[in-house]
Amino acid sequence: MELTRRSLLAAMGVGTTALLAGCGGSNSSSSSTGSAGGDPADVSGDITFLCALFEGATGKETLEGNLLKTFNQQYPNINVTIDYTNYSKLNEKITTALAGGLMPDVLTLGVGWIPPFANKHAIAPIADSLATRYAYQSRVLEPARFDGNLYGLPMVLDVRVGAYRKDFFAEAGIDAPPTNWTDLRKFAKELTVRDSGGSVIRAGFDPFSIDLRQGWETFLFANGGEMFSEDGREVLFGGDEGVEALQLYIDLVGDGSAIFANETPEKGMPSSLQSGNSAMMMTDNSLMLTLLDQAPELIRDDKVGWFAVANPTPAIFQGGTIVSQSATSKHPEAAAALVEFLGGQDAVLAACAQRGSVPGMDELLTSDFVAGNPFVKFALENLDKSRPEGGTPAWMEIREKIKPTLQSAVVGQQSARAAIDELTGIAEAAIARL
Amino acid sequence: MTVDVVKRTPSARRLEKSRPLVWSAIGRIALYSLLGIIAVVMVMPFVWMVLTSLKSSQDLAASPPTLLPTEWKWSNYAEAMQAAPFVTYARNSLIIAVSHTAINLVIASMAGYALARLKFRGSNLAFMAVLGALMIPTYTKIIPEFLIVRFMPLFGGNDLFGQGGTGWLDTWWALIVPGAVTPFAVFLFRQFYMDLPVELEEAARLDGVSELGIWARIMTPLIKPAFITAGLLTFVDSWNNFLWPLIVTHSDSMRVIQVGLSVFRTENGTQWAYLMAGTTLATAPMVLLFILGQKYFVRGFANAGIK
Repeated sequence: MELTRRSLLAAMGVGTTALLAGCGGSNSSSSSTGSAGGDPADVSGDITFLCALFEGATGKETLEGNLLKTFNQQYPNINVTIDYTNYSKLNEKITTALAGGLMPDVLTLGVGWIPPFANKHAIAPIADSLATRYAYQSRVLEPARFDGNLYGLPMVLDVRVGAYRKDFFAEAGIDAPPTNWTDLRKFAKELTVRDSGGSVIRAGFDPFSIDLRQGWETFLFANGGEMFSEDGREVLFGGDEGVEALQLYIDLVGDGSAIFANETPEKGMPSSLQSGNSAMMMTDNSLMLTLLDQAPELIRDDKVGWFAVANPTPAIFQGGTIVSQSATSKHPEAAAALVEFLGGQDAVLAACAQRGSVPGMDELLTSDFVAGNPFVKFALENLDKSRPEGGTPAWMEIREKIKPTLQSAVVGQQSARAAIDELTGIAEAAIARL
Repeated sequence: MTVDVVKRTPSARRLEKSRPLVWSAIGRIALYSLLGIIAVVMVMPFVWMVLTSLKSSQDLAASPPTLLPTEWKWSNYAEAMQAAPFVTYARNSLIIAVSHTAINLVIASMAGYALARLKFRGSNLAFMAVLGALMIPTYTKIIPEFLIVRFMPLFGGNDLFGQGGTGWLDTWWALIVPGAVTPFAVFLFRQFYMDLPVELEEAARLDGVSELGIWARIMTPLIKPAFITAGLLTFVDSWNNFLWPLIVTHSDSMRVIQVGLSVFRTENGTQWAYLMAGTTLATAPMVLLFILGQKYFVRGFANAGIK
């Protein structure tokens, strides 16, 4: 057979049909709730745990060689099988498992993921009494709630804050980090250093050092804005607060004190703050790990400080990992017992220590790990300013669209107002489809 | 009319004779220089990967970055290998890649032969279906394939209707069967079989050779480049597959090397030296295969008209 345009078009038609057929899915809507109570020895079952934490040999040893052994001493008749997964593919694992009706009994979820999966009846509520077991800041548990129920417990918090070089500030005669955007832009200009040819060799502020979505949300919260209404059915970021937050990026680039080309470095690569290419940057917990590994002198000599972005509301972006249980577990009591255990102090501290993350409970403020990590200590002391992302059952669809839409404004393809309006339209359409 | 006769000295004649040689040499030098630059550009990522795998944390953080490590950390390899059971992962990857390659070569070449040389009702439609399948993005097939695997009847505790168990999940079946035969390989083989002279086939038929014999003994030995090309591509694709093995397996004993390498990339940091050490080891068999089969590989693509 000759390859003609007609045969190619016909083949494309076959491909498209097959593609559309492949898009079908199914939802499981059954639900069951379990809680660990009574004699632990009476709780039994083989359960699976889809885990996006405790990576690598050390993580595995911590979880299986230490934590689960302790768990099994308390619950000898529960057998836990662990499915380790990469965080970047966690959504795919959960989505395919959900479609196949084989949800793991216990699973880790990102912040913002609870409403979408709870709305699909993929996860089950847990005992509300677990919310008061530890001294959680009120907002720490906020992303684990949906429709008045508690659906999980935070294991690690991964916060985003501002970081600055104290030595560069001292050179410029600036005493403290900015407390509003006017100061932020002013300091950024003052701290920017250029060579004789006018090229920037040190940016005053590097807001592109974290994901644009998360950075913009932090600025939105700092500007007094909200993402969604409390019931998650109304888009609230489309107002002036959201536009101004995006405009700040454009203004910083326009000032010449931020460079878009410095976009989010891969984790583990030297940050612009570490290499002296910026005086301030947005960062997460990974900065501390990288500094301790690659430039410990910056920590030893107290050259790095942290601040909550404010205008005037100080805001810290709160990401993290929540442990939850499946709504379709055949052993709900065993799953609930594991969730309760993994949300406990020992497991939380072990997970945070391995990743350099922030534990969400005040009780751990005095732990050796927190005391020895100034970033974590700062974050834990300021958790009252933390703001989680998400808050709508349509979040999984919306979150992927935020960064490219914002980026179009940063590179000048459209105005901040147009980009936010476009994003608002996308979000409203996604919510309308629920 | 006058004719100017220019008397050429012997040295001028030599110069004239050597001029094309000079231009040829200059052209050759320019060509080799250009090819050399392209080769360096192509090989640089691999060199960078190997050198990064031997760097310390301080070297990795150096600004501006340095090409050579100040301290050659050969221990990165041993430490990377301890982070996960890489021997098991490599064995699994090898089993899957070899199985995929063998299955694809046999079945896709049979299909390609049938589409190219046999006249049967619906052959055009079948070929269009193959072309159509080529155009389906991998990601869109993930969930349908997962559902097929999960609801496979009479496997993994499933009943006749695929209910009650886990089907092929976390088994070799799930890792090997889906994706074992690729539409690209069928297309490639069809193009090769189309080019073979019909007289060979007819002579074999006159001699009473069966259709299977014609495929196996007469036609197939003539398209070795296609086998090398399809084999290499299948092996590499299979060896590099990450998402599918991650989704259909949950036990460590069934995981593959690409999934294993992801332990070095976490939400809060990437262990670059270990990742590069692991990647170097994972890439080595592929590079070796390409070096051994490059002649056939290039010929395979050239013959199929694919660039």
